[in-house]
Amino acid sequence: MSHQGLSSQTIAVVGGGISGITTALEAAEAGYDVVLLERSPSLGGRVAQLNRYFPKLCHPTCGLEINYQRIKKNRRIKVYTMATVANVAGSRGDFTLTVTLSPRHVKTTCTACGDCAAAAETTVANPFNYGLDQLKAAYLPHEMAFPMRYVVAPQVIGTPEGERIKAACKYDAIDLDEQESSFELKAGAIVWATGWQPYDAGRITPYHYDESPDIVTNVEMERLAAHDGPTKGKILRPSTGEPPKRVALIQCAGSRDYNHLPYCSRICCLASMKHAAYLREQYADVEVDIYYIDIRAHDKLENFYKKLRNDPQVRWIKSKPASIVPGPDGVPLVCGENTLTREIYRTPYDMVVLAVGMQPSTAAGRPAMDVPMDEYGFIVPEGSDGGLMSAGVASGPLDVSMSVQSATAAALKAIQAVSGRARP
Amino acid sequence: MTATSPTPRKKYDLNFARWVYENVDGGDRMAKCMQCGTCSGSCPIGDQMDYGPRKLFMMIRAGMKEAVLTSNTIWNCVSCYNCVVRCPRQVPVTYILHDLAALAVKEGYAEAKTADNARFAKAFWWSAQKWGRTDERLVTMKYYFSTGIGDGIKKGMANQKIAMAMVKTKRMHLTMPHKVKGTKELQAILAKAHEIEERGNNGQ
Ligand SMILES: Cc1cc2nc3c(=O)[nH]c(=O)nc-3n(C[C@H](O)[C@H](O)[C@H](O)COP(=O)(O)OP(=O)(O)OC[C@H]3O[C@@H](n4cnc5c(N)ncnc54)[C@H](O)[C@@H]3O)c2cc1C
Repeated sequence: MSHQGLSSQTIAVVGGGISGITTALEAAEAGYDVVLLERSPSLGGRVAQLNRYFPKLCHPTCGLEINYQRIKKNRRIKVYTMATVANVAGSRGDFTLTVTLSPRHVKTTCTACGDCAAAAETTVANPFNYGLDQLKAAYLPHEMAFPMRYVVAPQVIGTPEGERIKAACKYDAIDLDEQESSFELKAGAIVWATGWQPYDAGRITPYHYDESPDIVTNVEMERLAAHDGPTKGKILRPSTGEPPKRVALIQCAGSRDYNHLPYCSRICCLASMKHAAYLREQYADVEVDIYYIDIRAHDKLENFYKKLRNDPQVRWIKSKPASIVPGPDGVPLVCGENTLTREIYRTPYDMVVLAVGMQPSTAAGRPAMDVPMDEYGFIVPEGSDGGLMSAGVASGPLDVSMSVQSATAAALKAIQAVSGRARP
Repeated sequence: MTATSPTPRKKYDLNFARWVYENVDGGDRMAKCMQCGTCSGSCPIGDQMDYGPRKLFMMIRAGMKEAVLTSNTIWNCVSCYNCVVRCPRQVPVTYILHDLAALAVKEGYAEAKTADNARFAKAFWWSAQKWGRTDERLVTMKYYFSTGIGDGIKKGMANQKIAMAMVKTKRMHLTMPHKVKGTKELQAILAKAHEIEERGNNGQ
């Protein structure tokens, strides 16, 4: 339908994390057609990979499940998974997106029974658990995947194992011949909700992340604490499989640092406090040391901080560690200066968790069009002609509730853009 | 002695931080210091410094001029640059410490004469400006004897074995000091540099 010279009123949302889902739902529930494009086989983004989320420590599956129900009920939303945008042409009201679909090799008739996985022998690194464990080459992305549909990994395509996997499916849902395909999509506005990736801890050379299994990142800690993670939710020292007695949480690992990410990711202080809470919940005797430059628990999150402050087994050390080195017998030593006492410390820990920051997804691959970005690669919330916007962490480092606010704002802006309404 | 900072030889000088930001090599970046402790924690001899760079920078901000310029931190830096490469704010800590040491010398603080590294730096400079080269033997001698004849002989005797080994491997020689070709020109360059420096200082 043409409307005031706009050839399309569809809103394209790129990225199906909590932000993209929110934008899509808000716009669709206001009566607009939405196409949601997600690169991975399931919606949910990084939130699905959290064990629980602050401030209330509820399970992310709960919030996501409600949203999935809303998507299922809404005929205006069309979801594509394993979809990326290869090219964008046109301008506000008249964009043409070239969407590329990677083969999933599993059709919609899949019932997620798991017979294919049972037939598979090859294993692949599990991206959902940040490669901490392995998956069968026919797999469900995770327990709460949406859509609830298996994926066959490219490694077994064209092999006898692939044929066995196909034969195991009672519903004939496996299509080994599926090829990459693409289609054109008309849209009046595009919302980039492409989110973030954890900063590569290996680049912080003095912290020797790659040299000790007991030095992990905060995103890995989320998986170690999750019931569907590699340790079934028991936080164990990776090198020994024993419960850790002393754990160091390192704030600003590669953040607020001109050599790495110059900005503050805003959520890591709370994320680490949450990790302290996970540990204290699991082990009565564990000691947790939080190394920080300064604690940033903004507005309502201050209460979480205050509560944890009262725990005598959580120590707060005002210091950015200068180095973390694998000591004798591989025990990581955290070294630096305590800036309140001027003590030079060299403290051994069973486990060290690096609170790495959120780097915009654009760092791994530029968007398919020239979207306006800031110096760090975050996409500015509003493009020049009013037809492009960003939502959630694609626009800046935000927690979930701030992401949802930003996504709702983006939905409204997108509606204004496709309905041709002037904005002040 | 030339007065370099606006109010020389003061215990407290509330303009000291600003002066450092504007006049010390890398001082402008020091304004970005967030007191994280990476520098002092990275220092291989951090436990042999009275304050360490982080605390010293805070003292500069607090205007504690005398305490800063009499501290051993400015003399004990070994220029390993660990702190410089790790500093999240890219503060060139080493440059700042060296410039502060030079300032302490200019302003005539006793510590700037007695500190071990100050004595060594002086001996080094004596050789460098005289011949354009450092003569290991004469620099060492000058440094050893800077604390008195008796002390110098004692130190010399204690290190005799090392000295002989260095001579044997041609790391040290016993003939005339090696020189650069144009020592006259070198001295003219140094004199000019000194003049420019003085002019800069007086122009403030
Ligand atoms: C260790 C850690 C713990 C955290 N804990 C909490 C917490 O407890 N509470 C809280 O409120 N916040 C927490 N956060 C922050 C939270 O993860 C983010 O606020 C949230 O993920 C933002 O969602 P998003 O949709 O903007 O981005 P994402 O979750 O990154 O989603 C982006 C989606 O876009 C997809 N995508 C990316 N690029 C493309 C592309 N080119 N084409 C198509 N799709 C693409 C991705 O696959 C992904 O599904 C935590 C962060 C960290 C690092």
